[in-house]
Parts: sequence; C-alpha cells; structure tokens
Amino acid sequence: MNLNQKIKRTPILLENSEDFKKEENPGRKYARRILISGLLSLFLILVIIFTLPKTVLSVSSLIEYATIVALVIFLFILLVRYFGILIMAYLYLNEYTFKSKNGFYPFVSIIVPVYNEEKVVAESVRSLLELDYPNYEIIIVNDGSTDNTKKVAETLVGYQKGRHNQIKVSLIDKPNGGKSRALNAGIRYSKAEFVLCMDGDSQLNEDSLKLAVRHFNNPEIGAVAGNVKVMNRGKFFTDLQALEYIEGLNMARSAQSFIKLVNIIPGPIGLFRKKAIEESGLYSSDTFAEDADLTLKILANGWKIYYEPNSISYTEAPAKLQQLMKQRYRWTRGIIQSIRKHKKLMINPTINFGDTLILWSMFYEALIWPAMNIAANVFFITAALVFGFTQLIFFWWAGLALLDLITALYCVAAEKEEFRLVLYAVIYRMFFILIIDVCKMMSTIEEFLGIRMTWGKLERVGTARV
Amino acid sequence: MELIPILSTIILVATISTFILAIGAYILYKVRERKGERVSAPQPSSVQAELVTPIEVPATQPAYTEPQPIFVQQPGQPGYTPQPKQYAGQEKRKVYIPVTEEDLKASGSKFLKYTSEGYVPTQENKNTGALRWR
Repeated sequence: MNLNQKIKRTPILLENSEDFKKEENPGRKYARRILISGLLSLFLILVIIFTLPKTVLSVSSLIEYATIVALVIFLFILLVRYFGILIMAYLYLNEYTFKSKNGFYPFVSIIVPVYNEEKVVAESVRSLLELDYPNYEIIIVNDGSTDNTKKVAETLVGYQKGRHNQIKVSLIDKPNGGKSRALNAGIRYSKAEFVLCMDGDSQLNEDSLKLAVRHFNNPEIGAVAGNVKVMNRGKFFTDLQALEYIEGLNMARSAQSFIKLVNIIPGPIGLFRKKAIEESGLYSSDTFAEDADLTLKILANGWKIYYEPNSISYTEAPAKLQQLMKQRYRWTRGIIQSIRKHKKLMINPTINFGDTLILWSMFYEALIWPAMNIAANVFFITAALVFGFTQLIFFWWAGLALLDLITALYCVAAEKEEFRLVLYAVIYRMFFILIIDVCKMMSTIEEFLGIRMTWGKLERVGTARV
Repeated sequence: MELIPILSTIILVATISTFILAIGAYILYKVRERKGERVSAPQPSSVQAELVTPIEVPATQPAYTEPQPIFVQQPGQPGYTPQPKQYAGQEKRKVYIPVTEEDLKASGSKFLKYTSEGYVPTQENKNTGALRWR
C-alpha cells in the first residue's frame, strides 16, 4: 500500500436525522406491559384452580402427563425445525450456480465504519484492495474514535493499488453517533448504485464482491447477504462459534435464501442496491440490531434478499465468555426490538406474507426456542435429582448430540470447512447453546422489563490475518 | 459398573455446571456493564464532519477488459472448426452435357451412374480390395 499520500480536507455538514416514530412515555409503556402480563398470569392461575378439582388425575400425575406432552411437542418441533432447515438448505445449494454474469461490473462503494479499530482497520482495507473486482471505491467512516484510528485511516487515504486498477480510498471523520449513523454517512456520500456495508474488523475474500454483485442482474433483488466466518480460530470458544456460524447461522440463511427471504443481512458483509436501502429509510439507531431492522424494512418494501455462500467475510469472534455474553445480549435485545418495531407485519399476514413468515421464525428462534431448551434441561435435571431418573438425561444428550453431529457433518462438507469442527458438535448443544440460551432468556426478560442497555464495544485483538 | 450410569452422572454434573456458569457469567457481565454505563446524548439533526480525499488523480489507466479464455491446440488436430462457407451469390449453375456413345467407349464402361452432375460413366476398380456394400 502507498501510505501517506497527499490529501485534501473538506469540512462537510452531515445529515444526521432518522425517521423515528415518536415513542410514548417509557414508564407508562412498561407499567402497562407488566399489568397485562400480570392479568394474563392471574387468568391462568384461576383456570388451573377451577379446572383442577374436575380432573380425575392427581396433581403429581397431571404434572407428569403435562411434562411428557410438553417434551413430545418439543421433540416434534426440534425435528421439524432441523429437517425443514436441512432440506431447504439442500435444495438451495442444489439450485445454486457458480455461473458468472460476465461484463456486469457496476460501480460499488465499500463502506467501512470504524470505532476504535486502530489495530484492525489497515488489515481490513488491505483485504479490500485484493478484491477481484474492477470498479469500486473504499469509504472509511471514523465514528469519533478515541484511539489512533483516525491517524491510521488518514494514512490509508489515496489511490491505492488494487488488483485491477487504482482504488480510491476516502475518509469521513465524524463525531460519535453509533454504527448505523456512520454507515448512513457513508451511504449518503456514495454516488454508486450499489453499496457494500461491512464491519471495521472484517476481512473479505477476493471473490466476495464479484460473486455477490452478479445477483443484482435480477431487478427484484434488493440486497445480498454474505457468508460470515470466524477468523480467530484455535481457541475453545472461537471454535465453538465457528461451528455455530456454519451450522446455526449459514445453514438457516441458505434455507431462507431458497425462498429469497433472508431475515438478517449480517453486519460483516451485506451488499445493497442503493435504491432499496434509500426506500427503507437507511439504517436506524432505535434498535441494537440495525442489520436485522434494515433487512426487515427492505423485505417489507417488497424486495427479495439472496444469500451468496461464496462471498465470505472473516470476522473476529469473542474469545472470552464475558465478551460472548455481551455480544449475544446485544443481538437478542436488538432482534426483539426489531420484531416489536415490525409487529404490525407479524400480526397481519395480508400486508406482506413473506415478512410475516420471517418475523414469526425470528420470534421463534429468539424467544420460544431458548425457553424450550432451558425448560427441557431443567426437567431432566429435576427428573435426575428429585426422582432418580438419571439415565434420561443421557439419552436426551445422546439424541441431540447425534442430530448435531449429522448436521455438522453435512454443513462442514457443504462449506468445505475444517473437519475438526465436527467433533465440537458433541458438546455444542448441551454446553454452548445452553449458555447462549440462558443469555437470550435473560436478555428477553430485561427487554420486557425495559432495563436500559448500552451498545458495548467488543475488544479487538487484531492479530488475526486471513 | 455399567457405562450408561457413569455417562449419565457426568452429563448431569456438566449440565448443572453449565447452568451455573451461564448465570454466573451473565451476572458478572451485568455488574461490569453497570460500572462503565453512560447515557448517550441526543443526536442533532446534522453534524459537522470532515471529508478526507486524495488530491492526486491517478494516471489514465486502461479500461478493464474481461480475461479471454485461452484455447490450446491439441497436437495432430486442426485448430478451430472452420466456419461454414457462406453463399457468395452469383454462383453459376453447372450446365448439363449429355453423355454420348463416344464418351462411353472412351471410358471403357458399359453403365452410367446418375449423380447430381448428370449421368457419369461408372469406373469400378475391382482390384482395390476395398470393402463394398451390395
């Protein structure tokens, strides 16, 4: 890279407003929510009190039967979910084609929002300069970093040598306002028809842009989601996350792509038609999952969203449990906020049936599934400790581990990933997913009670290089 | 001792430990978060920012051209299949010339074969030994 080129500084006035709906008094809102849930709970208790004497079974038998019925329902949903996703992902990968649309190389602006990323921003830009695409520019948006990010970014500004030609690298330095505002600043400044939004710590592989852009030949496609992979592997938690990204996130995304309704365009790589993003009112900062919110807005406007498995973005995953908790807490609350923001579409399927379908699946994954998983584990622990059915938990674990092993094997083979990750499937559900589900459950309760939260910046090590 | 009870006990202990670990980590996270909590100020409708762009414009560079596929000619084979000849117009039709008895005698054949060029004397060489269909 040719660093420290001659630069020009121009003061600009950035539009910073967003289309917000006026929120009602939060205190009143949460009081109402607690009142409604309290009344519903009271109603349930009354139903139990009135119906219990009329049953022929004793209380203990009733609990036993109810538990068995709940477990059967849980197993049924688990299997339907697993095989539904697997079959749809398989069908998608079958119809997926590598055929490139030669000659379609529209101008693309790559927007790199950075906040305290001094250790990783140079590597990110370097990976962008190696892209196998002839027509793009890089816009770094410094969101009021408090470290040396601005200095590092300024040295990168200039015409840098790309794979095919010189690539223009610009910098927008703005006061801190959050990731969504930083991305919006870049999108507003861009003159391109297509924008690629990514994270400041992510690195793209050389074919990412070329393979994602070709889908825009279809005028119905509003955005293309890329494939996120964990960059800093080799540690216990990062390896588990690598498996989770492949088995949990990418497989689900492949299944959603079969119906061209991907529900979350991941932050580390998302390519958008600028018209689609503008129609949706750009990114909003009223949720903590701005990517999920924007995706739902794009879908609501009738655009289709596709998933490109070979557009790969490598990202640094949290290596410590604390950091992982912080990330998942934000994701869960953000997704719940996005679902609540679009609840009209969820309730009324006549507005946009695709959106309704996607919102219900998000609701299930974020709220129902973690609760069900925790409840099942609590049941087996109780059955073992109180009633002495210790072997039940073994068969439960064996069944889930077998299911996860098969799925992991398929996903690892489909993505040509490291085989050693398959072995983590043995502890994936009983250990990793249980921790994540506890975090999701707590975040849901906090979101319900309206407890204030902050964005939370993950610490970047910056040693990883693809 | 049987294997299943031992495994069951291990899994039971592991599951309970995971629960305790998850709840503990969550509480610890909340405590740490609370320490560094700060209220974000409301954002103005527009902010003053700085745009940093390069001054130098790169020298004119050749436009990107799609790399063409490279074909390697196999040894002993012609290059590409030649394109079919196009009709150039003004192609003169051959004039039919009837075969006379003198011609037949000159060719040394008793029979005539009908071809697109009219009747031509047959010239069969039985000594070639080539396989013939009857």
